[in-house]
Amino acid sequence: MNPINRRQFLKTAALTFLAFAGRALAAPLAAAEKFFHEPPWRRKKPYWGYAVDITKCIGCGRCADACKTENEIPREPFYFRTWVERYILRRSGEVAVDSPNGGIDGYPPPRDPESIAQSFFVPKLCNHCEHSPCEQVCPVGATFKTEDGVVLVDRKYCIGCRYCIQACPYGCRYFHPTLQVADKCTLCYHRIKNGKRPACVENCPTGARMFGDLSDPEGALTKFRESERTQVLKPHMGTEPKLVYKGLDKEVR
Amino acid sequence: MKDISHLLRVAGIFVLVVAGFLVVRHFMVPKSFGEVGHYRADAVDEIRALKQHYSGDAACPACHKGQSQEKAQGGHRGVRCESCHGALQEHVEQPKSVKPGKPKESEMRSFCGRCHEKSLSKPPKFPQQNLKEHNPGIACDQCHPAHKPQ
Repeated sequence: MNPINRRQFLKTAALTFLAFAGRALAAPLAAAEKFFHEPPWRRKKPYWGYAVDITKCIGCGRCADACKTENEIPREPFYFRTWVERYILRRSGEVAVDSPNGGIDGYPPPRDPESIAQSFFVPKLCNHCEHSPCEQVCPVGATFKTEDGVVLVDRKYCIGCRYCIQACPYGCRYFHPTLQVADKCTLCYHRIKNGKRPACVENCPTGARMFGDLSDPEGALTKFRESERTQVLKPHMGTEPKLVYKGLDKEVR
Repeated sequence: MKDISHLLRVAGIFVLVVAGFLVVRHFMVPKSFGEVGHYRADAVDEIRALKQHYSGDAACPACHKGQSQEKAQGGHRGVRCESCHGALQEHVEQPKSVKPGKPKESEMRSFCGRCHEKSLSKPPKFPQQNLKEHNPGIACDQCHPAHKPQ
């Protein structure tokens, strides 16, 4: 038998090590890959989601009104967990967006209908992002995502630094004027955990707002997401919202 | 022994600082923080226990059977009772003392118009009327019963 030299020995040892390491790491790497790419509602149950059908919204504002009642939000403008925006796309290319009192008082019909190419309503609320910027920037852990996918604020623990309000790309947070904490949509967590629907969904007269369990393959929301072509707001932000829109125009931000 | 006394002093200070940190941390970090994630697990239960104002439609037919059946047959079957009558959880709990509201006769045109006033922002298929031209001054429910509109 030929004695092997140092170079051959090191080469063989390195290759053997790599072969074993590759096999040993394959399973955990595949698991990690699955963990990061698979939606969380495949492994967690329930996992709440939300959908808005823009083609059904009539801009009545019952949702924003019900939200304020249900969650005891101050009535004066500027404090909204959910609101309705009206988009007016003019033939000139100009885009106008308004939301007087969040749509609670309704919208008078537009004054100059001849100049308008298209107009529609867009209900807005917290997107309950899978990778939520507001949760990431909170310095004390007062904003968090629950095991069922809802982004909440711990009112006792929030220090009121307002960093999350700056961080939200969707403008869905505000500073609660009396409690002095950051506040946002909870998907009516106190309702959904008791088998009810969020107040905005409950009060939408046209069924434009939908709420449901993403982990239920037979659920109405899953069926809606599978049968309709939907889009999220600002997909380039990588926030992965669990709120999807049907009939979203490119002008909607 | 004399040679390492200065090291022992530093070690003593180090132990004191770590012990102090642990004591302060014990009082600063709230109970249940970190049990589930980087947050106070008790906060979930606190939010869950908040008061409900809207009851939902399931409770209504028990007492208001006629109206519920009527509504189920008409164009307003998809509209929830509380969308027009307001938040009624208290009424469900105390039906005698808390009474639901309903739109006044004089305010009916603007109340119904919130949904049904003609606007090009609304989906064209949705039933809409120009309220200035459509029978001005007459309350809507004279022709369109609210629970079963035609």
